[in-house]
Amino acid sequence: MSSIKEKFNQISPSEFFYSNRDLAGFSNPTRSLYTAVREFVENALDACDQKGILPDVHLTIKAVDPDKPDPKPYILTVKDNGPGVDAKHIPLAFGTVLYGSKFGLKQARGMFGLGATMAILYGQITTNKPVIVKSSVDAKIQNQFEILLDIQKNKPIIVKHTEKEVAKKGLSVSICLEGDYSKAGNKIRDYVYETSLITPYATITFDDPKGQKFHHPRFVKDIPPPPTIIRPHPHGIDVERIRRMIVESQFEIPTIDDIMIEKVRKDLGLSKQSLSFTAIMAKAKKKWKNLSRQVRVVIALLSFLKMDFEKLSKIRIEDLDVPNKKLHYWDFGDSQSKTVDMDPESQYFKQLTNTVQGEPLTTFLTKRFQRIGPTTAVKFAEFAGFKPEKRMGTFTNQELVNLSDSLQKFDDFMAPDSSCLAPLGEEPLEKGIKKFFNPDFVAVVQRPASAYSGFPFIVEMGIAYGGDIKSGGPHVYRYANRIPLLYDEGSDVVLKVVNDTDWGRYKVKGDPPFIIVSHICSTRIPYKTAGKENVADRQEIERELRLGLQFLSRKLAAFMSKRGQAEMAKKRANLYAKYIPMIAEFCTELAGKKKQPNYKKILDELEPIETKPETKTVEEEKPIENK
Amino acid sequence: MKTNKEKAKEISKKAKEKQKSVLESLKNHGAKIYEDLENGRFPKFSIPSRSVGNIVYDKKLRQYILGNSNALRSAKNSAQLRSFTQLMWLAFFANRLTQEKKSSTLRDVYYSSQAFAIEFEDQSESDNIIVDLEAVTSRPREDFHIFPEERSSIFGDLNIEYTIPGYEGKKMNLSNHPDGYSIGPSLTTAELVDTSAEIVIAIEKGGLFTRFVEEQIDKKFKSIIINTGGQAPRSTRTLLKRLHDELGLPVIILTDGDVYGEHIAMVIKSGSANAAHLRELTVPDAKWVGVWATDIEKYKLPTIPMTESDIKRCYDLQKDPRYESGIWKKELEVFLRLKRKAELEAFAKYGLTNITDKYLPQKLELAKSL
Repeated sequence: MSSIKEKFNQISPSEFFYSNRDLAGFSNPTRSLYTAVREFVENALDACDQKGILPDVHLTIKAVDPDKPDPKPYILTVKDNGPGVDAKHIPLAFGTVLYGSKFGLKQARGMFGLGATMAILYGQITTNKPVIVKSSVDAKIQNQFEILLDIQKNKPIIVKHTEKEVAKKGLSVSICLEGDYSKAGNKIRDYVYETSLITPYATITFDDPKGQKFHHPRFVKDIPPPPTIIRPHPHGIDVERIRRMIVESQFEIPTIDDIMIEKVRKDLGLSKQSLSFTAIMAKAKKKWKNLSRQVRVVIALLSFLKMDFEKLSKIRIEDLDVPNKKLHYWDFGDSQSKTVDMDPESQYFKQLTNTVQGEPLTTFLTKRFQRIGPTTAVKFAEFAGFKPEKRMGTFTNQELVNLSDSLQKFDDFMAPDSSCLAPLGEEPLEKGIKKFFNPDFVAVVQRPASAYSGFPFIVEMGIAYGGDIKSGGPHVYRYANRIPLLYDEGSDVVLKVVNDTDWGRYKVKGDPPFIIVSHICSTRIPYKTAGKENVADRQEIERELRLGLQFLSRKLAAFMSKRGQAEMAKKRANLYAKYIPMIAEFCTELAGKKKQPNYKKILDELEPIETKPETKTVEEEKPIENK
Repeated sequence: MKTNKEKAKEISKKAKEKQKSVLESLKNHGAKIYEDLENGRFPKFSIPSRSVGNIVYDKKLRQYILGNSNALRSAKNSAQLRSFTQLMWLAFFANRLTQEKKSSTLRDVYYSSQAFAIEFEDQSESDNIIVDLEAVTSRPREDFHIFPEERSSIFGDLNIEYTIPGYEGKKMNLSNHPDGYSIGPSLTTAELVDTSAEIVIAIEKGGLFTRFVEEQIDKKFKSIIINTGGQAPRSTRTLLKRLHDELGLPVIILTDGDVYGEHIAMVIKSGSANAAHLRELTVPDAKWVGVWATDIEKYKLPTIPMTESDIKRCYDLQKDPRYESGIWKKELEVFLRLKRKAELEAFAKYGLTNITDKYLPQKLELAKSL
């Protein structure tokens, strides 16, 4: 028994991730280098986003020994102009797993800052070199740390700590890790390129190990509003969450039965003694600090009932009416309901008010969930079949299940608050697409916020056609929370929706030069794997993607048909201009004439002939169904 | 008797008249297009439809002809503009050929188009336009000096006089060369002066043609021998028709003993669907004397099994109105029963000259009763 317990204690979070690093995308030198880049760049961008700083991120990868064949050690450095990390947090933030500032219900690129620590851990186990963190929060002093991780204890080991004067705020993290740039290079360059498309307000620079520089300056000056932390939406809640929310707010009044009384006796150290009320209270006062919450509540009740244990075992608490300062109980001996007044000045009264049966259902809903007003709360209570004033503490397990079910089913809640989300916005997205692809046609759309399992999400999409885009499309650029997803596109929900689309119906044929940009923002992206490269096909998300894509496809179809008509008209005009003079030439000789006939007249007349079928086709175009 | 000089004059006059009428026809079509353009109209003309639905067998004429359905080809229709122009060019080119009395092959036409920036995808496209011109003018392309590449030949006592430029009035006897004379434009258009022959024997195969010449079939049976080289080319069919019509010679046809041989004979007799717009290519009185399916059994010829496509062809022909009666019907049925075929060369089983010594005389005799 004891040995099992000992073993259990030995597995620290870092130990766990050390042995399961595949889960986080550190399966081989190629993938690891790419994942490490991602984690640091995303942390840098997140840090800037939170503080509304226009990011300036500099990524450098350098081979330790360039002549060695891949895989080999590389030094990866990511430098930003963000707020930096306070010196006292640095060892824990970079030397422990599961330490970070990203806990809360709002959109961020990463969760929990886990990935960066994983990268540091991976670097340490492959090269045995410490992570070097340089941080300045005030643009005056820069703290410089060299840190190793004690994997077994999940604790940082500070190798070196120095201070330096600087003129700029920001954070620089540098690790040495085994990687394979010859294989990962393409992906990393794609990653940097695609990141700059979805983060148009950031300047991203990448110095690669071969001496090449990839510089993507910002082309948008406004940073989208940072997301806020929000309360949960009722559609995204389950029984366990409700239970926790109730516990967070109050405690139940314990049932005072024989077992409870026995417990109180024991805790007061009165095992067999039978004491008077006064003696009990005196004893309780003495032991107060060591008493559990439950026992304290019983003592508090006792203080108003003024009973000894003997008497106490013969009553049942009926109601604790805090507003009227009355305590109702049923006396078995007299078989009648009795009431005592409670002194609001008593410290025990306070104990009880904290422990009352909790908020009424309506208050619970309006206070703890987002976007529920009193009217909706009452309506919901009626829908769910609960009294609006029913207190949360009185819900039985089954009632909680019913409540949770009803919360899912009730349709009159407002759509989830999307203030916790940070979509890029239609305008910057369109600007980005235009800058990157110089297309002949572009259309973007931001769908209204929706929710899956209570997590709000927003789908943004763009379509572009022609221009600098290569043929063989559609090429799909997938993003989730401003992260480009480069691996595992085969099983992604976006690809599924794109592949389900009958492009012929939208007049897109052959090997079209067109791209689709898809951005899903959510407080929780339903990734299929821990590697965070593909999004699962949740029905709600699939639907939003489909509607967004259909909207854009219709616009594309209109463009294509216009373009097709213009091309056709031009082609036809060229055809006449080419052949009619030939016909004139041949028939002149055939007819034995000297002068060619005046065919210019019919060529001039062609104009009205061309426009006729064009207007007709526009009329014929039927709107494509929405679903 | 007319003198040679008078005859030559007559020949030259005849040729000139034909040329004149061809040119006239082309000029009329050209003038109509010219007028349309001059008046600001998109030129158009109607062209007999050559689709399968418009080809019917005319029992009176004993050949395939086009029905009454016409298609309108207009320069206004952008889909037809290209073929419209191609046809105009071809008329223009034919006009020059006819005026200058120069002949040209189908392949020549295809390549000549490139000098005028007229695009043809391939020769079959230009061939098709040539057939269009034939259909519009109701004249065979030979009238426009466009000839197929020659591949068939003729041998026998036949005097001709050339009408082609540079050879006008020049005479030739077609038994002077033991390999035979190839049937080209100059022969097709030559004047047929006189002959001692009493019959024309058309043979499907070159090998047998040589054997016939060696065995002096021309003398033994007073005949002109023609090698059709498989399906008879149009120039050969023209010549056969002229030999029959102008010299009054009966035509008999010898083919391999298979369904294709039977059809070679039928095309000589009543034309092909491809040339249904023309009426100068058939010899309705021509007689097919073999090798019949029944001969295979009668002469106990060595055979080879029919292929699936042979059998399919039999069933196809059974739907053709020309195969509804007589030996045509009967032989098809026997082919289908035997499911075997035999070549002309099969007679070699009984000796190299067996076909000329035994089979041919019997068949010539039989032909008289057909």
